Amino acid sequence: MTKNSGVDVTVAAHTAEATAPSVAPDTAANRPEPGDNVAAVVSVRHLSKSFGPIAALKDVSLDVGAGEIRGICGENGAGKSTLVKILTGVYRPDAGTVLIGGAAVSVATPRQAQELGIAIVAQELSLCPDLSVEDNIWLGSLHVPFLHKRPDLRRRAAETLALLGAGHINLDAPVANLSMGERQLVEIARLLTRDARVLILDEPTATLTDVEIERIFAALLAVRREGRSVVYITHRLAEVYTICDRVSVLRNGELVATTSLKGLDRSALIELMLGRPSGEMYPEEARARGAPALVVDGMSLPGIVDDFSMNARRGEILCIAGLVGSGAAEIVAALAGLVHDAGGSVSVNGRPLKLGSPARAAQRGIMFVSGDRAAEGVFRRLSVLQNLVATRLRDHSLLGFLRGGALRKAAAHLATRVGIDRRRLHARAEELSGGNQQKLAFGRSIERQTGGILLMNEPTRGIDVGARAEIYRLMRSFCADGYALVMASSDLEEIVGVGDVVITLYRGRQIGHYRRSEVSMHRIVADITHPRDATP
Amino acid sequence: MTDQVLPTALRFAWRVPLPHSRRGRILVAIRVAALLALIVVAAATPGFFTTVSLFSLLNTTSFIGCVAVGMTFITLSGNAMSFALSVTLSTSGVVFMAVLPLGLPIALLVALAFGAVLTGIQGAAVGYFRANPIIVSMAALALITGGATLITQGQGVYPQGDAAAALKGRLLGIPMPVAAFIFTVVVAQVVLSFTRFGRQLYMVGSNWRAALAAGLDPARIVLGAYIAAGLCTALAGILMAARYSSGDLELGLGYDYSAISAVLVGGTAISGGEGSAIRSLVGAFIIAVCQVLLLLHGFSTQIQYLVIGVIVLFVIMLQTLADAE
Amino acid sequence: MLALVANRSVRPYLLLVIITVALWIFDRGRGQFFTTSTAFSVLQQFATIGPIALGLGLSMIIREFDLSVGGMLSLSGCIAVLTGAQYPALGVALAVLCGLVWGLLQGTIMVWLRLGSIGVTLGGLLTLGGLAYVVTGNLSISYPRMDIALAVNNPVLYVFSLRSLIALAAFLAAAFFMARTRVGRDVYATGSDRRAAMVAGVRTSVIVPAVFACSGMLAALGGALLSYSLAAASGVALTDALVPATASAIIGGVSLMGGKGTPIGIVGGVLVLCLLSAGLNAIGTPPAVQDVVTGGVLFAVAIADAVDLDPRLFAMRRYWAEMFVRPADPVRSGDTSAAE
Repeated sequence: MTKNSGVDVTVAAHTAEATAPSVAPDTAANRPEPGDNVAAVVSVRHLSKSFGPIAALKDVSLDVGAGEIRGICGENGAGKSTLVKILTGVYRPDAGTVLIGGAAVSVATPRQAQELGIAIVAQELSLCPDLSVEDNIWLGSLHVPFLHKRPDLRRRAAETLALLGAGHINLDAPVANLSMGERQLVEIARLLTRDARVLILDEPTATLTDVEIERIFAALLAVRREGRSVVYITHRLAEVYTICDRVSVLRNGELVATTSLKGLDRSALIELMLGRPSGEMYPEEARARGAPALVVDGMSLPGIVDDFSMNARRGEILCIAGLVGSGAAEIVAALAGLVHDAGGSVSVNGRPLKLGSPARAAQRGIMFVSGDRAAEGVFRRLSVLQNLVATRLRDHSLLGFLRGGALRKAAAHLATRVGIDRRRLHARAEELSGGNQQKLAFGRSIERQTGGILLMNEPTRGIDVGARAEIYRLMRSFCADGYALVMASSDLEEIVGVGDVVITLYRGRQIGHYRRSEVSMHRIVADITHPRDATP
Repeated sequence: MTDQVLPTALRFAWRVPLPHSRRGRILVAIRVAALLALIVVAAATPGFFTTVSLFSLLNTTSFIGCVAVGMTFITLSGNAMSFALSVTLSTSGVVFMAVLPLGLPIALLVALAFGAVLTGIQGAAVGYFRANPIIVSMAALALITGGATLITQGQGVYPQGDAAAALKGRLLGIPMPVAAFIFTVVVAQVVLSFTRFGRQLYMVGSNWRAALAAGLDPARIVLGAYIAAGLCTALAGILMAARYSSGDLELGLGYDYSAISAVLVGGTAISGGEGSAIRSLVGAFIIAVCQVLLLLHGFSTQIQYLVIGVIVLFVIMLQTLADAE
Repeated sequence: MLALVANRSVRPYLLLVIITVALWIFDRGRGQFFTTSTAFSVLQQFATIGPIALGLGLSMIIREFDLSVGGMLSLSGCIAVLTGAQYPALGVALAVLCGLVWGLLQGTIMVWLRLGSIGVTLGGLLTLGGLAYVVTGNLSISYPRMDIALAVNNPVLYVFSLRSLIALAAFLAAAFFMARTRVGRDVYATGSDRRAAMVAGVRTSVIVPAVFACSGMLAALGGALLSYSLAAASGVALTDALVPATASAIIGGVSLMGGKGTPIGIVGGVLVLCLLSAGLNAIGTPPAVQDVVTGGVLFAVAIADAVDLDPRLFAMRRYWAEMFVRPADPVRSGDTSAAE
């Protein structure tokens, strides 16, 4: 694929959103259909995996042939990551088999996956910050001998980096000194040096420029020419059309379709991914526009976000939509006081608020619910009761002593309010399901007075559909009580379903601002994955 | 079954809801059974309840126990342990003896304040900067040992007259050290169970970031925990100095290890967020009882030391088995 | 030049130079300090503390901490003295074997039960100390082979001895291993980000026990040779060794966060401490001053390596600026400006 035609295709993809991408040599439209005549390199048969009550994968079967680039698309929670983690030995399936080269295997460790010829670039990078670039590239590789500093290995590392357009990176520099994009390239270089039969890439291009993406695609095409296979997971539909031969679509843990991209237009693909949005999931929108509760002007987070502004009103849910790394989650964390070097001006109910202290934010009525329950949300070894009243100890204490009876009553009231069984008040928080734990986090955010502000970061992450519906209902009831809600999310359905106001973010820059009536999934996907007017 | 057998009072003392999993409950049952077995063996051993062995047992346990209660605060806050409590004990004793000429109440206040300041500085470093607590305590150990040796020139401080006599006697028939130990445990447990500070301490030890996100000030709470540890330790130091009628840097040597052993054997988690002062009391007594039993059955002090070490190792492993699901 | 200062492993040697110069100034050319006998005693102390510092440093590099080195030091001394009467080498070998086995045991427990090192090695320390106590019966056991005791301490090339040469050899072997072999790289990776290393294919569940086995062996080696040189072994768990060993490793550039530090750097750290001690001794300061200096340095490093150092300094600077800057002046992170 020549560079020129690559640029054409990308530009064409931007300007023709709903129509089929224009044809260029050596892309999906031109090649013969792979599949039927080629033996499958990687297959999964009837693969199922559940986490407690949540079924992440349900009876998924698919084959990837040699010399094929398979795209895998699906919404958050559709099962893409779970599938990949089973293939690379992080999870064991509950049912079903994995076959490599036709033989059933049981992948137990990442090292075993490597021995079977599987290599991966995951969403979360696996680089050791203190090691050099060269060491990271060859880290854990089976090819490396005991005395690992060999000139031929070093040369190969340098050549691979040069192939990706990253030849300027110093091989001896510690990875901690590199930018996010450079680190991604190092991780991809590691992938390429593994000489694997199957290369899996999970959202590899979020931090990369167009030029770098070109180079990666060129390398992937070279891999395909050698008869090896690539599994490419992405939200960016333009890339799917550029590089993939066929696409498998997952939805709610099930394989919806595996089809060639010839003749499949964008909206059809999106329909496959999202299905029909369920009406009952999302309660009606708020009626009146309330007073502004939280006003942000020119917020900046060094290195992450640049000049962000918003106006969150009472009784409304404002969604900050953006992919992981776009800055959405960081903005919400900064508003909650968890980021120490945030700049810009913020005011709550008309009065300015100094950032950087969660205690100060809490005093002004700002409460924070995180999607990362383990790290920021729940006190696992403490009881449900202790968790619920965690933020209101001061209200129920006298001269420093806690008033047990008052606290118990308050906890019971809160438990009922958020839908947790009162009989579980004395259970340890870690015994609750993910959804119930999240409700705990909501429960302790309820204030007596109105005028509170609730900040949420991916609040429904990892929670099953049923619990999600409950949490959305809960959010609406907060609105009815006069709260202003601000939510950072990368879940398309959720954003469109719940947001009264949606602000889209791409790489730290504000792209669009929509009211509920104006919003559409296509617009949001376009904004947060690869907006037209964004400069890399 | 066990959640009916163990009454609410025990749950209160244990300070945490009973585990719901079968495995967790089995492990609690094992602990209780071991405790009962120990009591039975103790009762069956001739000479155990004679006043001599019991008396000396109680006294030593009380000193270590006070330090263990102090250590409990540090462990609960998620900061594992401190190596500097033994020197805090001895230096507080020295300060007490040195200030004693000014009168007993003043000497008490000054010595307690001294202990609180020594540990408070460590608490500030660990709380406000989140410096590694083990390293900070080692540094404090070296600094305090060196500083104290320089100031005292290696000499002990001996009291003029008998101003500290009150501390050597008995309170309502109980030896003073034991009374002080019980007092410390009661006060500490009340603080941990019934005050806002205590509750916040559990939260901080359980999950620092979640406590921050919930609007707490974890740094201040950690500082408070270290100050509490200093107060308990200084109290033990004062009583020890009174008992041996000298303020000497040799007192309390090795108490750090005894104290943390008592804390861990009692069942407080080394990772923080779970435990209580009463558990440390139980732990201290279990260790003491084991030592006396071994002694009465003819085993040397060396074997006792070894057995305690093995018990600690065992308890730590057992604890994680309870948590791992 | 700045890059040299920033290099963690070079820093201790810079400190070494500074201390040497300072001591030379104090000495004022009297030649009291800079003699071969001073160098010899510095290196003898190096032989005592060095191996422990190396073992402890290795455990810190994988982001753990081996508290049990003090216990192993005394137990191995007992084992060597008790079994090495006829064949001294056998005594050392047995002691080292003990260290290996114990380290593997601790490391395996940690990996298998997913425990942190503080709890397990604390239990280990107490158990080993107890074992040493039991084995010696709380008496000092004397070692009958005075000839070995002398041989181990005999000056070689004026400043070295067999002990210090063995210690140096251990360091050099470790330095080669860590810098040049794949396993050494994997050790750094395990400490830098264990999860990432595991995902990349490093066998972290093997590396952890292996590193603890090394720290056990090194402590045992040091303890055995020390007992030979003293011609006695005592049951007192040398917990006093923990502070200088930790300080040496940290001065030598090992980070509490793991993934950083080299054996050569640790050599520098140990030498700094030993030189400081010898130097302070020579100019007549009481040993307590060494404690204070060691403690102060350790405290400073603990703060420098602290997790929340940057946010706190930031907050303090901002607080300072607000106290002394007129409200009308624009403050850098302008969060007090009026809302829209």
